[in-house]
Amino acid sequence: MKIDNSLPLEYSTEENQTKILGFWIFLGAEIMLFATLFASYFVLVDRTGSGPTGAEIFEITPVLIETIVLLTSSFTIGLAIHAMRIGNKKAMMAFLTTTLLLGAGFLGVEIYEFVHYVSIGAGLQTSAFTSILLLTLGTHGAHVTFGLFWGLFILMQVRKQGLTPETANKSFIFSLYWHFLDVVWIFIFSFVYLKGMM
Amino acid sequence: MKELFPAKQVMGFVFSMILTVTALSVYFLEMSFTVGITILLVTAFIQAGLQLVVFMHAGETKDKGAIYTNVYYGLIIALATVFGTLLTMIWGYQIP
Amino acid sequence: MDFFDRFAVPHPSPAIYASMVAIGLTVVAIIAGLTYFKKWGYLWREWLTTVDHKRIGIMYLISALLMLFRGGVDAIMMRAQLAVPENGLLDAQHYNEVFTTHGLVMIIFMAMPFVIAFMNFVVPLQIGARDVAFPRLNALSFWLFFMGAMLLNISFVIGGSPDSGWTSYFPLAGNEFSESVGTNYYMFALQISGLGTMITGINFITTILKMRAPGMTLMKMPMFTWSTLVTNVIIVFAFPVLTVALLMGTMDRLFATNFFTTANGGMDMLWANLFWVWGHPEVYILILPAFGIYSEVISTFARRNLYGYKSMVGSMVIISLLSFLVWTHHFFTMGQGALTNSIFSITTMAIAVPTGVKIFNWLFTLWKGKIEFTVPMLYSIGFIPIFTIGGVTGVMLGMSAADYQYHNTMFLVAHFHMVILPGVVFAMLAGLTYYWPKMFGFKLNERIGKWAFWFISINTLVTFMPMFISGLDGQARRMYTYSESTGFGIWNMISFIGAIGLAIGFALIVYNVYYSIRYSPRNIGSDPWDARSLEWATHSPVPEYNFAQVPHVNSSEAFWDSKKNGHVLYKGELEKIHMPNNSGMPFIMACIFFLWGFAFIFAMWTTVIITTIGIFACLAHRSFEQDHGRYISVREIEETEKKLRGA
Repeated sequence: MKIDNSLPLEYSTEENQTKILGFWIFLGAEIMLFATLFASYFVLVDRTGSGPTGAEIFEITPVLIETIVLLTSSFTIGLAIHAMRIGNKKAMMAFLTTTLLLGAGFLGVEIYEFVHYVSIGAGLQTSAFTSILLLTLGTHGAHVTFGLFWGLFILMQVRKQGLTPETANKSFIFSLYWHFLDVVWIFIFSFVYLKGMM
Repeated sequence: MKELFPAKQVMGFVFSMILTVTALSVYFLEMSFTVGITILLVTAFIQAGLQLVVFMHAGETKDKGAIYTNVYYGLIIALATVFGTLLTMIWGYQIP
Repeated sequence: MDFFDRFAVPHPSPAIYASMVAIGLTVVAIIAGLTYFKKWGYLWREWLTTVDHKRIGIMYLISALLMLFRGGVDAIMMRAQLAVPENGLLDAQHYNEVFTTHGLVMIIFMAMPFVIAFMNFVVPLQIGARDVAFPRLNALSFWLFFMGAMLLNISFVIGGSPDSGWTSYFPLAGNEFSESVGTNYYMFALQISGLGTMITGINFITTILKMRAPGMTLMKMPMFTWSTLVTNVIIVFAFPVLTVALLMGTMDRLFATNFFTTANGGMDMLWANLFWVWGHPEVYILILPAFGIYSEVISTFARRNLYGYKSMVGSMVIISLLSFLVWTHHFFTMGQGALTNSIFSITTMAIAVPTGVKIFNWLFTLWKGKIEFTVPMLYSIGFIPIFTIGGVTGVMLGMSAADYQYHNTMFLVAHFHMVILPGVVFAMLAGLTYYWPKMFGFKLNERIGKWAFWFISINTLVTFMPMFISGLDGQARRMYTYSESTGFGIWNMISFIGAIGLAIGFALIVYNVYYSIRYSPRNIGSDPWDARSLEWATHSPVPEYNFAQVPHVNSSEAFWDSKKNGHVLYKGELEKIHMPNNSGMPFIMACIFFLWGFAFIFAMWTTVIITTIGIFACLAHRSFEQDHGRYISVREIEETEKKLRGA
């Protein structure tokens, strides 16, 4: 394996560069996945049947908490990558742990939100609007959940193996994933919640 | 400690918080739908671009051409799908 | 017994019972054969765990040929049922199931793997690479596709086939009108194989962007590689739409959500919309690689370099964008106003322009060429006039106002078969014949191949031309019978005769494979067609590392240059070669996916939970696994090379 020391660790081998590019292309597919959900959401948003509308069920407080928590976690994963690049393993692990804890916090609030919706009669089966609302939020939430496990595995590997071209590459790819989830959330925050409550 | 918080990323974070607060104005202030949706579109896309460039390091290797092409291509197709679907299913749909 | 009741077929017939017995016997025969000949170890080591792109390509090819047979039997059954008025061969339900699986099998499980087979086999060789970017994901892609295909294929003997058309429109496909598990099979078979295709897309884009031989810039890639790149871009951006649509359809059926229902605000037309947002790009996913194969074949056998390389590339890139902007033309008559329909009419007609550019480029390549009429070349030349008939009728259908006349008639059926047969199937048969010697080291017999070509091309016209007429006369598609007074009888009888002719043509190809295995000469060298690009610059069959040394490239026809213009392909010494290790994980994971899909289809929730955990356990295993591949030493390479040169 040829290691190019002029580049950051995560790019240092051909294989690593290939993996990063491959992951970017995967993110391209994810853009379309969420775009399809958004397209469906906009078609179905006013088709509430006998169920409630968005304005009737959305609450600003949990949404705001989720947004700030997720934006902060996106910031901390960025710091983790920065720490990784200056070779500070301890700081990198601390930032990654913070990110995962914030992610878990986000998920907790989201679960609260879901339980709340169901309890006030806006369940998965209530209307086309609630179906697509919960599917869109749920798909994002499932991505976050998946990311928590993934991040945890990477944390364990960094702890055991240190910062190698392999673990650095995995961490960097994970950071791309996490930032992307943040981007998706921004669109959910703007065009599902704020537009719905406007 | 200072070296762990590079100015670029801190500024990026502060800026994204400002954008969030700006977007929130559509909830707290009275405004027309057009103004509101314009604010949301502008803040959301700037926010997304910010993540892409500052946090995701999209442009730092020789693959940046491929990466940006990929993202822009995705964006174009995504917008075409969203607006095309709206055109077909809502704006141009005649059966209630 | 209650547990087993759910697996019963809802509309049994003697034919289905006979199929059950036949499938059972085949499985027993395969297991017995493998055990008797002690081939289990060989199967596992050499095929089930392989990550070699060439072997994966060949497995795709075999699957595609098997599915071609299955879909072909469906087609013959349909044509036989319609051959005479008021025929009683199939009842309405059975006919519905047959046309549904015919469409699904032919598009998703025949054409797709056929195309992907060539991508796998040819692209790494054409760009001078040792394998694809992610060999293990490539194996996973194949096995996911394969398990999806198997899932669909067991549907008709376990629980019932899907029966609401390959488009599966809601509310017809909803629980209210499709009570059997058939549509669940549809959802999961497509979801699982679609996931595999998605991964293929990412894999090949990365491969082409990152693993080209030194000197091969993007504009020096052979045309098939270009078409693969563009196709995979379309795959990556189109398949997520299908994923979401299938997810929503599944939830409607299993969890009583209201996406596509007709109550509580659900919108059935949204399914049609999303289906075709994916479905139209899908058409181009099939046709672009076919165009790539035609480009290779035509320039090889016209003995000229491809005319208009840049315009070929440009037109494909334009097609890739436009293919996402035309989907509404599949349902012009289903509720949009004149403005929307006009917009999509215009984009539809615009896409004919880049396609026309490509046709003219091929014609100009042929112009003043020294044309050699081999079998692949016959298919490539036969394609042009027949495809043009399909193309111009497509423009007729694309005019939204006129479409009200043709929509859902046999005219439409004739149109898309006239596009897909010459466009995709001919190309696949051309590719099969053209790349056969590279895959197996001997050629298919030319004489039998030519007979097969004439049978297939003439009978394509005999089968589908009458449908244009009966369609204009008003024969609707998907109707299982018609009365004598309609006058459709004669046209459908001609179609049936054509279908028999097509079947004979395909049978000839099967015979040709058998004949050539027995009698074809083996000493044909590595370049039997006097071809132009890098895949012919290594031995046939290809050694596992593809090229002993990485080739150096200076044009899109590097091998031709090395033969005629003294270009040096291989520079420097042999070096040890890094190769990926085989792995059983993709196969195991795909098997778990199969069980997962099956459990979902029959709503067996405990199994669903267990298999879901299984899938994530595989992913976790992969995350922690350390596998740095292996090296092939210089000595081993030298030995292999000597043996291959001697043979």
